[in-house]
Amino acid sequence: MKICIACGMPMKAKEDFAMGDESKDYCKYCARPDGTMQNYDEKLEGMTEFIVKTQGIDQEAARNAARGMMEKLPAWQN
Amino acid sequence: MAVSQRQKQKAETKKFLIECAMEQFANKGLTATRTADIASAAEVSHGTIFLHFPTRERLLEEVIEEFGSRTAKRMHELIDGDCTLEEVLAAHLKGIGECEGFYAALISETAVLPEGARNALIMIQSAISHHILQVAEREMDAGTIKTMPFDLLFNTWIGLIHYYLSNRALFAPEDSVISRHGQRLTDHYMNLISEKGGF
Ligand SMILES: [Zn+2]
Repeated sequence: MKICIACGMPMKAKEDFAMGDESKDYCKYCARPDGTMQNYDEKLEGMTEFIVKTQGIDQEAARNAARGMMEKLPAWQN
Repeated sequence: MAVSQRQKQKAETKKFLIECAMEQFANKGLTATRTADIASAAEVSHGTIFLHFPTRERLLEEVIEEFGSRTAKRMHELIDGDCTLEEVLAAHLKGIGECEGFYAALISETAVLPEGARNALIMIQSAISHHILQVAEREMDAGTIKTMPFDLLFNTWIGLIHYYLSNRALFAPEDSVISRHGQRLTDHYMNLISEKGGF
């Protein structure tokens, strides 16, 4: 199973991929409306908001966790 | 991409060390387990551990990440587009149940773990909450479960499960908490959040 390079989500179904395109390496949650991949700041913000919304964690603590996780993903190595 | 025999072997040894470490962490606790314990369980020299993991901290993080990717894979396998919240919760428990000892140790010791390990746990919960959110939003719209803030919906479930897991010795001595209490806890939780008090 392919894993999204930008957020680490396993991509099982065609719909999981950006624009439903299985040749893409990133998922629909990491794509902008036009299908291109979000940049680092966009992804960090999105991930932080998601953690705050779903786990109720403090904004700064959530951002810190998101940053730590992104460090390990192939899309954000440089 | 051609992978040499040596690289393949190295990857397999690493996988095996992660497996041994997970078992040691489950039995002795995450903080108490020494890398020497893992080496002797794996029947390798102490130095071998550090050929694969630069630090003990990194080894612990990789074991947590391995647990996370197993749970995420399990949920992806068991869940499809139109399953119910109850089925998602069952898949979550199934994933935990496969490494119950390790997960119980992880959540019991979270507060004293290094930051990288704590962040790895937040990311595991993030993947799980993603699955729960998708279904819960649909069921709230359909009026089958109560409308409530999503973090409380999620944390109420996690709080219940974690309480039982971190007190395994009381709730299921020498046994699996998930297999002994999982169904009952799921039924209770569904009953709490269902709009008509469940069926
Ligand atoms: Zn993604």
